[in-house]
Amino acid sequence: MAGAACAGYGRPGGRVIHAPRPLTLWALALAGCAAAATSVALALTSDHVNEPGLQAALMDWITVPFIFSGLIAWWRRPASRIGPLMVGAGFTTFLGTFQWTNADVLHTLGVAFDLLPAVLFMHVYLAFPSGRLERWPARVIVATAYVAAFGLQLVGMALGGFGPHNLLEVVAAPHPAAVLLQVQLVTISACCVAGIGVLAARRREAGRPRRRSVALLLDSFALGLVMVAVLFVIGAFDGPAFETIRRATFFVLGLGPVAFLIGLLDARLARSAVAGLIVDLRANPAPAHLRDALARAVCDPSLKLAYWLPEFESWADLEGRPATLPEPGGSRVATLIERDGAPVAALVHDSSVHDEPELLAAVRAAAGLALENARLQAELAARVEELRGSRLRVIEAGQKERQRLERNLHDGAQQRLVALSLELSLLKKRVDGDPEASTRVEHARDELALSLQELRDIAHGLHPAVVSGHGLTVALESLAAHAPVPVRLTVELDDRLPEPLEVAAYYLVSESLANIGKHAHATSATIDVARTNGRVVVEIADDGVGGADVERGLGLRGLADRVEALDGRLRIWAPDGHGTRVRAEIPCA
Amino acid sequence: MRVAIAEDSVLLREGVARLLGDAGFDVVAQCGTADELLLKVRSFPPDVAIVDIRLPPTHNDEGLRAALEIRARHPSVGVLVLSQYIELGLALQLLSESADGVGYLLKDRITDVDEFVGAVRRVAAGGSALDPIIVSTLLSRRRTDDPLAALTPREREVLELMATGSSNQGIADALVITLRAVEKYVSSIFDKLGLPSTKSESRRVLAVLLFLRS
Repeated sequence: MAGAACAGYGRPGGRVIHAPRPLTLWALALAGCAAAATSVALALTSDHVNEPGLQAALMDWITVPFIFSGLIAWWRRPASRIGPLMVGAGFTTFLGTFQWTNADVLHTLGVAFDLLPAVLFMHVYLAFPSGRLERWPARVIVATAYVAAFGLQLVGMALGGFGPHNLLEVVAAPHPAAVLLQVQLVTISACCVAGIGVLAARRREAGRPRRRSVALLLDSFALGLVMVAVLFVIGAFDGPAFETIRRATFFVLGLGPVAFLIGLLDARLARSAVAGLIVDLRANPAPAHLRDALARAVCDPSLKLAYWLPEFESWADLEGRPATLPEPGGSRVATLIERDGAPVAALVHDSSVHDEPELLAAVRAAAGLALENARLQAELAARVEELRGSRLRVIEAGQKERQRLERNLHDGAQQRLVALSLELSLLKKRVDGDPEASTRVEHARDELALSLQELRDIAHGLHPAVVSGHGLTVALESLAAHAPVPVRLTVELDDRLPEPLEVAAYYLVSESLANIGKHAHATSATIDVARTNGRVVVEIADDGVGGADVERGLGLRGLADRVEALDGRLRIWAPDGHGTRVRAEIPCA
Repeated sequence: MRVAIAEDSVLLREGVARLLGDAGFDVVAQCGTADELLLKVRSFPPDVAIVDIRLPPTHNDEGLRAALEIRARHPSVGVLVLSQYIELGLALQLLSESADGVGYLLKDRITDVDEFVGAVRRVAAGGSALDPIIVSTLLSRRRTDDPLAALTPREREVLELMATGSSNQGIADALVITLRAVEKYVSSIFDKLGLPSTKSESRRVLAVLLFLRS
């Protein structure tokens, strides 16, 4: 089995994480049960609670899911603070029920904690999934709400609000206390609205379908905040149907932890997808299929794979093209897959996948071998890519060198010989009276003319200067004029093409026409050059005998090299008795 | 006759200037670049400009572009383009409007002094001078249905000379026949090729060239 390991990519801080001790968790679970029972008892024994059974049930509907979901989260995701936070929210809600007691001390305590749970819920929502408030707007919102819910609550109690059993009363100023309560409720309500904005922004900035469970969770959080905001505004201004809305709000708040549990369950379902992944990989082990299989397994359609190429010391995709891993801290995270201590591949996925570390570990283990295979394919592809690049460079370097030689001949020897020949012509005029001298000068001049012709042929063979000087259209016109058979030439180009492409097309036509002259027994030929859909197509066809071996025009092998070096394709059709067709398609942006 | 020369090889430039000077031309400008030539032509138009097709700085098509610009802006100035290679496509580009006052010769032709001087005079006077290579290339093509086959060998000779821009008198001198005989051959050739006859010697260059190319 692959020694898969997570190298801690995308993990904030790299702290050492201590899982909670089981004893702690059990104790808290027990305390949670006790709290649920206590609040029922408090409600039933209270002398000032209407419908005590219903009230207790509503409270427990919130406290129990928060405490137990929080404990499960704490246990399963020790790295996240969300678990302790949820447990805290649950117990704080329970503290609020103390106001039902008939003992004034406990009642006062309960009143002090009356509004705090609403803010804790908001804190949980905005801190999901890490348990931290990552950005300053969320921090400001939550801090403001805490001050309003707890700080101002104590002030209001000191001013003598909340009835006769409030032990914290310092002065009896019921009117300012009532106004203060309105301010508190409206402030918390506004914070909830701002919190909805933060959640909406988070959902939008992902910019792609977030994972299903995460989207569901964020939606339930946002709904909870909407309900709290509405409830508090109605409470502040004695709006209608307060009690009904309060019950509905409690119901919705209790849904948050349920959605959270569904998210966890979803992860477990996804884990069963690992079994599916193994079956998938066995059925279709092709590396190209691997990404889709992995994306399905971790429920992240945006998943990408990168492979480590040790020889190139870089990351690449399956086609060998360079790939980059996301920076730590963003919404995209890379999880490294290692084998024998060396990186093999990286899964680049949504950061929410990290909420399910055991899923990732299982996927890594299941896909280790397939990833190793895919890495080899990526390495091969990168090598092919490198070879292709070096072939192109070799051809281009050769071309440049030939061009340089042609230029040197043209500007040097050819010019000098023409000047020398001119000199001889002028000399001949001087020695017109001396027939022998005149003949010898004439002879020398003829020799020179032959040398010039040979030199011109050599220079032209080195590099078709007309192509770089005047473009493919002009150059092909001359080739067609020199062709061994009548040629219909059609060139549909608006602009000059990149020089390597022009040179390749020129040689292709030149070599094909030479082959037609040597082998085809043709009576006519066509040359078509057109640029369409980002490709240049060069086609040479004749009406000759065709057939035979398409490799017989040996120059064609070299031409295929040129065309392929430019990412193009060269194809040759030569059916017996139906002429020969040579077609090159070369990409040209 | 005033002549301007643009050629970056000093050796050749001075050789050409000397031979044209000896032949009675007034060499009014010797330039090493296309820009210099254009400047000289603008300020003091010569009768003919002799232009090397490859001129600095890139030695690609500066000379040709200068030639085309002179043709467009100074129609009265004849342009004779010299090149180490003869390209049919360039000939067609140069002659695209008309063959009046245009020449396109292989550089080697300057060493045949009398021929060259004759060509310069023709172009300066508004005639044309096309390198024989162009004509012979076009004539040497195999054709399935060849109207040229109907020509007599003598008519073929006349056609070749005519296509290079020779005047009737020039053809008569070259083939050592009378002017009347040349005129007879010319009209016979036009008949056989189905070309509309024209009195203008430069216009018939273009007509023959296009006929041969098609």
